[in-house]
Parts: sequence; structure tokens; C-alpha cells
Amino acid sequence: MEKLVYIALFAPFVGSLFAGLFFARSPKNIIVGVVNPALIFISWLASVALAFHVAEHGAIHVTMMDWISAGALHIPFGFVVDEVSVTMMVVVTTVSTVVHIYSNGYMDHDKSFNRFFSYLSAFVFSMMILVMSDNFAGLFIGWEGVGVCSWLLIGFWYHKKDVTPDINPAISPSYAANEAFIMNRIADLGMLVGIFLIYWNVGSLQYDVVFKELPHLEDGILVAIAIALFIGAMGKSAQFPLHTWLTDAMEGPTPVSALIHAATMVTAGVFLVIRANPLYSLDAVSDVSYFIAALGTFVAFFAASMALVNRDLKRIIAYSTLSQLGYMFAAAGLGAYWIALFHLAAHAFFKALLFLGAGNVMHAMDDELDIFKMGGLKKVMRGTYLYMGIASLALAGLPPLAGYFSKDAIIETAFNEGTYVLWFALVFTAGLTAFYSFRQVFLTFDGEERYKRFGFHPHEMYRYVLVAMSPLAILAIIAGWFQDSFHEFIIKLLPEYEMSHHTHHNAWWLGLLVLFFAVSGIIIAYKKYARKGDKAFKQDKKVESGFFYKLLMNQYYIPAFYVEFIVKPYTAISDKFWAIDKAVVDATVDFIAKVIYKTGDSSRVIQNGNLSSYLNWMGIGAVLLILASAIAVVMG
Amino acid sequence: MEHILSILIFFPLLAGILGFIVDKESARAYGISVAAIEFLLSLWLWFSFDTNSADMQFTEFLPIIKEFGISYNVAVDGISLFIVIMSTMITLIGIISLNEEKIDNMKNMIVSLLFLEMTMVGVFVSLDAIIFYLFWELSLVPMLYIIGAWGGPTRVYAAVKFFLYTFAGSLIMLVGLLAIAYLYHLETSVWTFNLLDWYQLDLSVNLQFWLFLALFIGFAFKVPMFPFHTWLPHAHGQAPTIGSVILAAVLLKMGTYGFVRFSLPLFPDASVQMIPMVIVLSIIMIVYTAMVAFAQKDMKQVIAYSSVSHMGIIMIGVFAMNAEGLSGSIFQMLSHGMISGALFLLVGIIYERTGTKTMSKFGGLASIMPVYATIFGVMLMASVGLPLTIGFVGEFLVLLGFYEVSPIATVLAGTSIIIGSIYMLSLFKKSFFGEVTNESNRGLKDLNAREITALLPLVAIVVWLGIYPKPILKPIDNSVQKLLTDMEYKARTPEAKKSIISIKRAKEEK
Repeated sequence: MEKLVYIALFAPFVGSLFAGLFFARSPKNIIVGVVNPALIFISWLASVALAFHVAEHGAIHVTMMDWISAGALHIPFGFVVDEVSVTMMVVVTTVSTVVHIYSNGYMDHDKSFNRFFSYLSAFVFSMMILVMSDNFAGLFIGWEGVGVCSWLLIGFWYHKKDVTPDINPAISPSYAANEAFIMNRIADLGMLVGIFLIYWNVGSLQYDVVFKELPHLEDGILVAIAIALFIGAMGKSAQFPLHTWLTDAMEGPTPVSALIHAATMVTAGVFLVIRANPLYSLDAVSDVSYFIAALGTFVAFFAASMALVNRDLKRIIAYSTLSQLGYMFAAAGLGAYWIALFHLAAHAFFKALLFLGAGNVMHAMDDELDIFKMGGLKKVMRGTYLYMGIASLALAGLPPLAGYFSKDAIIETAFNEGTYVLWFALVFTAGLTAFYSFRQVFLTFDGEERYKRFGFHPHEMYRYVLVAMSPLAILAIIAGWFQDSFHEFIIKLLPEYEMSHHTHHNAWWLGLLVLFFAVSGIIIAYKKYARKGDKAFKQDKKVESGFFYKLLMNQYYIPAFYVEFIVKPYTAISDKFWAIDKAVVDATVDFIAKVIYKTGDSSRVIQNGNLSSYLNWMGIGAVLLILASAIAVVMG
Repeated sequence: MEHILSILIFFPLLAGILGFIVDKESARAYGISVAAIEFLLSLWLWFSFDTNSADMQFTEFLPIIKEFGISYNVAVDGISLFIVIMSTMITLIGIISLNEEKIDNMKNMIVSLLFLEMTMVGVFVSLDAIIFYLFWELSLVPMLYIIGAWGGPTRVYAAVKFFLYTFAGSLIMLVGLLAIAYLYHLETSVWTFNLLDWYQLDLSVNLQFWLFLALFIGFAFKVPMFPFHTWLPHAHGQAPTIGSVILAAVLLKMGTYGFVRFSLPLFPDASVQMIPMVIVLSIIMIVYTAMVAFAQKDMKQVIAYSSVSHMGIIMIGVFAMNAEGLSGSIFQMLSHGMISGALFLLVGIIYERTGTKTMSKFGGLASIMPVYATIFGVMLMASVGLPLTIGFVGEFLVLLGFYEVSPIATVLAGTSIIIGSIYMLSLFKKSFFGEVTNESNRGLKDLNAREITALLPLVAIVVWLGIYPKPILKPIDNSVQKLLTDMEYKARTPEAKKSIISIKRAKEEK
């Protein structure tokens, strides 16, 4: 079984090296397009085999070699395949395999085809390290690794130049890439502090040792660790106020958005909270956990509200990702870790599908993203329409699709905990989710064919790409049906979460209420955006100049706020420091040097060879000496 | 090879003298051969080094002036071993990178470099204070010459500033060293400059404080610590590439090495007492110079200021007073040597091609010079401390170790992972991303064989030691633990005893 662990882990790495070392400088090579997806597929096979093994025989723990040891610190490269990590492995490799095959079609004409695969496989490798590591330092390797791959892939089209924010809110791919990296680093500092705290209080960074030791620690330290680790999670999972990078990250190629910025990397924060559940379920840190749930709920609503008005195909989906991450944190914060993980998995499938569908649309529309310029595309893109419809239904939480089961469970949890404010916010957000998802679908695929006015000639994606997407579509439909077996599998590791009798009793109307909100959202979207002729959708200037529309369109002015109050002052202070460095610190040194030089220069007159001036100086010297001795006598 | 250390010191000197009679055309080849032999010898030193022992090894002792106890006394332990190897390696790589077309009077350059190599090895293996001081001061001469002869337009100002600044500092250090010898004489009526004898000297806290301060000035000017750092940007700004590489990679380490070899074991109480001052200066160093780096328009100045910022991390590691932090700090000296050396080489390459280092003149280089951009990217990531690169190990250990001393200071120092990525990424974006803004850059050639030969070993080491630092970290850690145990034993005040955490005590507590 050890071999399978290493195969699952290193197959993507081999792929990355293969594409990176041998083909980095050559033009598109179909061998890369075949070998890399194949290697990811092998990793998937190994992960699935491991999943069955874990289900029957329990966790596998391997230690490859030592990494860092100094003083009392020992960090190995160790990997643990248990219920949680194997779930993540299967989810990651499933989506990755599809995205790798998909990229063959999507990146077809890109001159950096091979480089793309090298980065993409490197990402999968980092993600596998992240989920498989058996200690916090190993987790951090993957954590930073996915960060770098994300940086490389957001900035993949680095040659594009910067434009002003009113043309493209992300400015340029390289700008968005740097923004993402730096914002994540802010959170990483929190994560590092958490690691230091753990080390100095437990003496080890191994999960099993740490989790066993936790109950013996002081409450204050536990709270500090919980906060520090969650700050780390907030960066990767783009929680408020570190959320702005995620929408800008849409500058990357769409397969990247599907894999990294929807299905896998951004869920790393949720994974961390789930992994550290022995910490977050302690009574001492219940306030932190509740905060996580509250923040998650806030982000769920906050992100959904921005999705309501946006016209950018990918940004809408990015907001919905943000919103769904909020749902996951809500569940994890309320103690329903397994439900959070379940939603994480289900979300990965339907959201990746949604993004890949969006990629098809972009491919058809020459990279146009404005959904107001689309409409009626279903005629030419039947397959994509179907896929995006399924994904949106799943996202909206309609039965019997995946999202219905997982999201409903989260909302029910909020009710069960008696946190009714959170509960209602989540129910209401479910309605918003359905509305904006179908607003997007209808504006893209139904209604008048507005694209004709702009001279587009859309065409359907390659057939093999559509076939490759089918596993995700099937999973988006059926994943929810396995709720019970997943529950049975996962609670061997994660704490059980059961609904009270009261909740059970009310489950039927709770479900119906959510459904009511969701269906209403879809109907409103249909009425507004899907019709043709007289009732066809028209832009309403009056609404668009309204306060709320502008507020939402400008993302609550948060990016502008960051620019004005963080970026600009930082630049100004840096310039100021540089000026100080030259004008004060360095000038002082030069001044001292000059004084010495000048003193030497001016004291030269003492030795001018003139006897009478020598006598004068001698006289002055004698007076000074007498004065000095007089003072010494008086003082002494 | 009992006399391996002497060979390591005097072979470059001898070869340097012989270099004067070498034919002009073959000067570079001669330099490469000598540096390669020297590097292999240093590797031999490593392989015959007993990595399980924390003690001084390969000791050579030869009295020079018996009356004053001055002797030729050299040895290595885990702390100095790898700095020596790094010195010989960087010299070799530096000489390989020299471009015959761009450097006139190659012969003089090679001779200067070989002299410099002698002094660098000498500093790190000396255990006699006077010999140490000799090498320390001698190292200024070739560097002064390299900057003054091959530097930029204001090279003389920069060279003299570099010389006078560090020279002034070392004179105060010399006074401190003489004072220690005098105090040792007072106590034992024996004259000695043997550092290992000095370690036995039990000084009052007050005396420790003043002596610490005297040595501090000598070392801090070299590091350079804020606010004594301003000679460095001038020196880097004017120095030729090879000068900057050696300056950043090796010469700065003399300062931090001095703290480890002299200040900590000689003055354990004063060292603990001075932690707050070191914290304040180091944090200013880390944050302030990183922000100054961000404000730079010149690529080389960004790297120069970033060097100061990273030296700040090394400084707090030295004063972490536990094995994690101190081992990390010594590892960070090596990693900073590799990374800053490589970055200065990289800047030199683009400067040779375009005659400018101003970032606004570049843009879109990634599409013109992909290999160059890739290696730059690797070094950038190492510089910002990405795990599995050499840069992470040291930085992580230092911050981890220092957390025990002061959590708040660690968070402040830890901001270096954020602001470090700000200036590095913005440098990379300005120079490598975007459209090609300068049409004349379109014809730039990617790296040639000479440049790749110089850079690839550095890339390999950056990755290798990032993944598997153990071969280096273990000997370092052994010697560091011994150092800390000795310090803890020697410390007089209870505060110092409490602050210094030797591994032995950590185990007892468990």
C-alpha cells in the first residue's frame, strides 16, 4: 500500500518535470497533452484504490525521510492517508484529471501549451502534499506550493500589459498574480505563528502528537493557536477581508480557475479547519469556532450579493465560489465537519463543471466575458448548455442534485445549533444563489441572440472535451446520493454530527423553505432574463445608476479602499524611507566624515611655520590647561 | 592531510602571487583551475570532517610570538565548515562568471580574487584573535581594489566609504580584543590570544557589557546593521558584479559569524542583556530596508537592500539563544550567500547585455529570455523563503526559534515574508512581465554556456538543500548545541541562564 501512496503523490510531480524539463522550450507537443493527463489519471487510480483500502483497513502512515531537524525540532516528510485525506485526494485527482484533458482543447492554440501542463501538474503535486502531509510543516510546504503554482498560473499570460481598473478590474494577469501571492502571504504569517505556538507548547508538529496533547494546554494558548491557524485558512480560502484576490485571479486561463480557484486550492482553508477539528471542537475555542461560522455566513451572503449584478461570466462564478466557501466554513465552525467536507467534495464537482462550461463559452466567444453580449447560445452550444444547466441546478440546490443534499445539510445544521440568524442568512443566500446562477445561465444561453450584434460566430467545443467533462456532470448529479455511505465512512475519523429530534421533526418544512427560496430565485431570473421579443431583457439605466447597483458593482469599494489606504500609503512610506535613508542616515555618516576632514584641513593653520603664531597657540594651550586644572580643583 | 586548513588558506595566496607571471590570455583559465582545486580541497575537508563531533577539528597550532601568546591557530567546527566551503564555492562560481570581453586587466582581477579568497578562508578558520583580526582587515584590501578599479562612475567614493567605514569599526573591535587579552593576563598572568582559552575567562557582567559593545561595533558595521548600513548600497551600486557577489555572499557573513564565534561565547550575560537592543535594530533593519528596497528604481539596489533585510533575520537568529534559532541563523547565512550571490550574478548578466539596471528600461523580459527568467524566478522564490528551497529552512528555523524569545518581535520580523514578496514580485513584474516596452531589448540573447555553468550549480544547491538540508544542518546543529551548553554553563546571571536554552535542559524539562 505504501507504493500506492507514493504513486498517488509523485505521479503528478513526474508529469510536471516531464513537461517542464523536456518540452519547456519546444512548441505545443501532443505527447505532453497525453502523458500529463495520463499521469494524473494514474494518481486518481491510486487514490481510489487507497480509498477502498482505508475504508476496509484504516489509515496508512508513511515516513519518507527527514526534512528539517535542529535543536529539539524534527520534521519528517511524512504522509498520512486517512478518511479525510483520501477524500481530498480523490476529489483533487478527479477534478484534476478532467481539467487536464479539458486543457488539451482549451489551450489548443496557446504557444505555451507545454509550460501550462508543467505548472498544472506541479499544482496537483503541491495540493497532494498539502492534503497528505502528516504534520503542520508538511502542510505548509503544500500550502506555499499551491500558492506559487497559483501565482504562475494566474499570471500565465504574463505578456498582457497593465490597464486601468475601469477597463479591467484586475488590471493585468501579472498584477492579479502578485496580488494573490502577497495577500496569501499575509495570511501565511498567521499560519506560521500558529505553527510556532504549537511547537513551543507541544514540542512537535506531527498531527497525531499535537492533537493528543491539545486538551492539556492552557485555554489562552489554544485560542491563540486556533486564531492563528484560521488566519492562515482565511487567506487561502479568500475569506473577508482577504477575499479580493480571488475574483482578480480569474485572469488566469479558465481550466486554472476551475481546478485551483474553485475546486481545490481555495478549499484548503476549509480542509485545514476540518483537519484540525480536535482543536476547533474544544470547548475552550468555541468562541473562535462560532466566529468562523459567523464569518462564513457573512461571506456567503456578501459574495452572493456581488454576484447579483456582475456582468463578467467568470467573476460571477468566482463570487459563487466565495459564497460556497462561506457555507463550508459555516458548517465547520458549527462543528459539522463531515458536512463541510461533504459540501467541499460536491461543490468541487459542480463548480469545476460550471467553470469548464464557462471556458467553452469563452472559447466560442473569442474570450468575451460580458454576458450582456451573449444570449441565445443554447442553439449552437447544446452540450455546454446542458452541463452548465446541471451545474447551476446543483449549485442552486435543487433535488436530486449534489448541492441539494450538501447545502441543505449545512442549513439544517445552522437551525439545529439554534443560531437562527445564521440559519436565515444561509436560507436567504440560497435564494440569491439560485437567482444569480440562473441569471447567468439565461443571459448566456437563452433570450435574444445579442451576440450577433457584436459580430461573434460561436461554435461548440470539441467533442472529446465535452465527453471528458461528463464525469463531472454525472458526479454533480449523483454525488449527493452517497451521503449516507460517505457519512458512515468519514465519521470513523471526524466527529459525528447528529441533528436533534427537534430538527428532525422540522426537517420537512426547513427543506421546503430552502427549496422555495431557490425555485423563486430561478423563476425571477427566468422572467427577467430568459424571454424573447417584447419581454426580452433590456439594460435598465435607472437601476444601473442607483446606489446599490454601483455599490455591488464596485465590490463595496473594498478594492478601491485597499488601493487608497494600503497600497498607496505603503508606496509613499517606502519612498519616504528611501529619502530618509539618503538624506538622514547616509548624510550623517558623510557629515561626520566631512567634519573630520574639515577639522584636519582647518587645523593645518596651527602648523604654518610662523614662530609668532606658534607662540600664540602655545599661549592659548597654556591658558586652557590652567583653566582645566582650576576647574578640576574646584570640582574635586 | 593534517595541514588541510593551512593549504586552504595559503594555496590561493601562493597561486595569487604566481598569477602575476601567468600569461594575460590564460588568466581566467588559471583562476578557474586554482579556484576549482581550492573548492575540491574544501570538499575534501567536509568529507573527512567528523560530522558527529561538535568539537574543533583539523586544529593546527604554531606559536608565533610566545611572549604575547600570539599563535597561528586554526580549526573548523560545524559552524565554520560550511561557510568556508561556501566561500570557496562562490569564488569559483564568481570566476567562472567573469566575462573576458567586459573586464579589462583580467589578470589583476584574478589575483585580487585569489587574495580575497585567502582572507575569507582565513577569517572563518582562525581561532587566534590576532590572526582573525589580520585576515579580517586584509579582506578589505582586495575588495577596495576590486570596487575602485572595476567599479562604476563614483567607484572611488564608494570604495573609500566601504573601506573607512568598516575599518573604523574594526579598530574599535581591535581595542576590545586587546582589552580581553589584557583582562585574561590580569586574571591568569598569562598572555594569550587563543580564543579557546578566552572562552574560559569569567568576566563580570559590567566588563562583558563594554567589551560586547566594542566588538559589536566592529561586527555590526560589517553585517551591516541599521543604522550603519549605508555604505552597502553605495558599494553594491558601484562594485562590479563579481564584487557584489562576494561582498553579499561571504564578506557580510564575517559580521554575523563574529557574533557567533566571539560575542556569544565570550559574553553570554551581556549577549542576553543586549537582546532588546538587537531586536529593535534588527526589526528596523528587516522592515525599513525592505520598504526602501521596494522604493528602488534600480534592480541591483533592490537586491542590495534586500540583502540588508535578510541579514536582519540572521541577526535575530543569532540572538535567539536556542538551538533552533541559532542553527537556523547559520543555515540562513549559507542560504543567503547562495541566493544573493545568484541574484547579483543575474543582475550582472542583464547589465552586461543592456548597460542598464533600471527596471523601467526592461519589461517583458520573460518572453525574450525564458531561461534567464526561469532561473531568476527560482532565486526569487528562494529569496522569499518558499518551502523546499534553501531560503525557507533558515528563515523558518530563525523565526521559530525567536518566537520563544519574543512572540511580538517574531511577528514583526515575520512580516519580512510579506514585504519581501512585495519588493521581489514587483521587481519581477516590472522587469519580466508585461509587454516588451523597450524595442531594443527584443534582440537580447538568452543565457550562454558560461552563464549557465555559473548559475546551474547554485540552482541545484538551492533546491537540494531545500529538500534535504540534513547533511549541513546536522553538523551545524551539533556545534551550536555545544556552544549553547557552554554558554549556559558560563552565564553568571540567572536571567541569562534562563534565556539560554541548551538542548540538554530542554530534555530535562520534558
